[in-house]
Amino acid sequence: MIEVKAVEKKYGRKKILKGVSFTAKKGEITCLIGINGVGKTTILNAIMALTPINKGQILIDGKTLDKHTFEKITFIPDAITMLPHMTIAEAMEFMDDFYHCWNQERATELLGFFRLNQSDRISSLSKGNTAKVNLLLGLALDVDYVLMDEPFSGIDMFSREDIANVFTSHLIENRGVIITTHEVGDIEHLIDKVVLLDDGMVSKEFSAEEAREIEGKSVIDVMREVYQR
Amino acid sequence: MRNYLKLVNFEFNRVAKLFAVLLSFTFIVQVIGVIVQSKSYLNMADKKIYEEFMPKAQFLESFGHMSFFQIIRSVWFLGPIAICIAGVGFYIFLIWYRDWLGKNTFIYRLLMLPTTRLNIFYAKITTILIMTFGLVAFQLILLPVEILFMKTMVPEEFRSDMGVGELLTNMPELSIIIPGSFVELILYYGTGLLVVSVIFTAILMERSFRWKGIFAGLVYIAIASVIFILPLLLQEFVLNGYFYPVELLVLEIITGLIILAASIWMSRFLLTKKITV
Repeated sequence: MIEVKAVEKKYGRKKILKGVSFTAKKGEITCLIGINGVGKTTILNAIMALTPINKGQILIDGKTLDKHTFEKITFIPDAITMLPHMTIAEAMEFMDDFYHCWNQERATELLGFFRLNQSDRISSLSKGNTAKVNLLLGLALDVDYVLMDEPFSGIDMFSREDIANVFTSHLIENRGVIITTHEVGDIEHLIDKVVLLDDGMVSKEFSAEEAREIEGKSVIDVMREVYQR
Repeated sequence: MRNYLKLVNFEFNRVAKLFAVLLSFTFIVQVIGVIVQSKSYLNMADKKIYEEFMPKAQFLESFGHMSFFQIIRSVWFLGPIAICIAGVGFYIFLIWYRDWLGKNTFIYRLLMLPTTRLNIFYAKITTILIMTFGLVAFQLILLPVEILFMKTMVPEEFRSDMGVGELLTNMPELSIIIPGSFVELILYYGTGLLVVSVIFTAILMERSFRWKGIFAGLVYIAIASVIFILPLLLQEFVLNGYFYPVELLVLEIITGLIILAASIWMSRFLLTKKITV
């Protein structure tokens, strides 16, 4: 389980996160939702120790992050994490070189799933295909947790469909996923848990299924209630 | 260790093209220098001896023999060395900033590798060392080749031949990049390694704290410089030459090691606790 406990983060004098707490369990898809600048990406960066936090604690399966944790958790940011001059094959080779948990079989499967060409250079890819390569490099790791930052941002409908299909496939099964997105509609029916962020705090944390089944509300309905109050 | 070596290999491959360009540039410009300098000497000899009918002995007495010194002291020889030094100096900064700036966000991947983050620091500093030693080694290989070039162009009676060893001992310009003794090697390259590690730490301070980091980095460089030259200052102004040169060298090595350890410790702290993508 990923535990984010009372995390505070300041950029200069501005407090971006004001004591954010939530948990994300293995086998669940947790969606972080909030308007631009609310600190969604900062939370993911903080979980991966890519930005320091001012207060609070982040635990992954009860431990703070260290070099071994990177074999347990992967982060798929909204930016390519490989050198632009590399081909997809070279990027895969790089991952295979460094990660024990790299699963070549799954990587090959993902190549087919996303209809990517191994010999293509990363710099020559469209935004949609770049996002797919990012997903490929992240999901081909046999890790327990996957963090995704805006995987649908700025890409066409067909690429979005391809990426959304990942969430219904075995590629995500049994993993704990934390995803930030504006395009909730694409994966609303797949989300297990929603964490709504507002003004640097968690304004509401709820089970998407319960909201649907008990209250008869979609995630978007709950978002409207919270953000348009 | 394996991850460190893989990172070194990866980092070196990233700079391989620039390295090859620097090597080729050095080779081409220095060989052209040998040709130009030799030709100019021979043209002068032709003019004096065959057009102005100056006796050969008198010509040699007036203008001297052609020696490789003349080539080494020319811009043709020292220019490429200066450019290589500038290139390595520039790359000390680029090796970090290229992972952050522009469309490149490779720093995400580097920081998420399942290895201690200090390996990134070690790999980058090793790459700078490999580049430096590679350029020096290439220059050492190039020297006899260039001497041979000169020998094929200038007739023996007009030449004053000398070996590579003799050139190195008689040329202060070269003795810094190609030290004459082990102590000099430790002194020059140890200082170089120290400077690079201090600059790396300052860069990481900037990458961690941005504007405040620039100030912190500059202060760190200033403090490290003062500590490093402290034994020399004390010897000169307070202790009035109290230490023997060997003792002073040992003191310098100790202060150097302290600064190196501090830079590594601080870089580790910054990379694990403070760095921001």
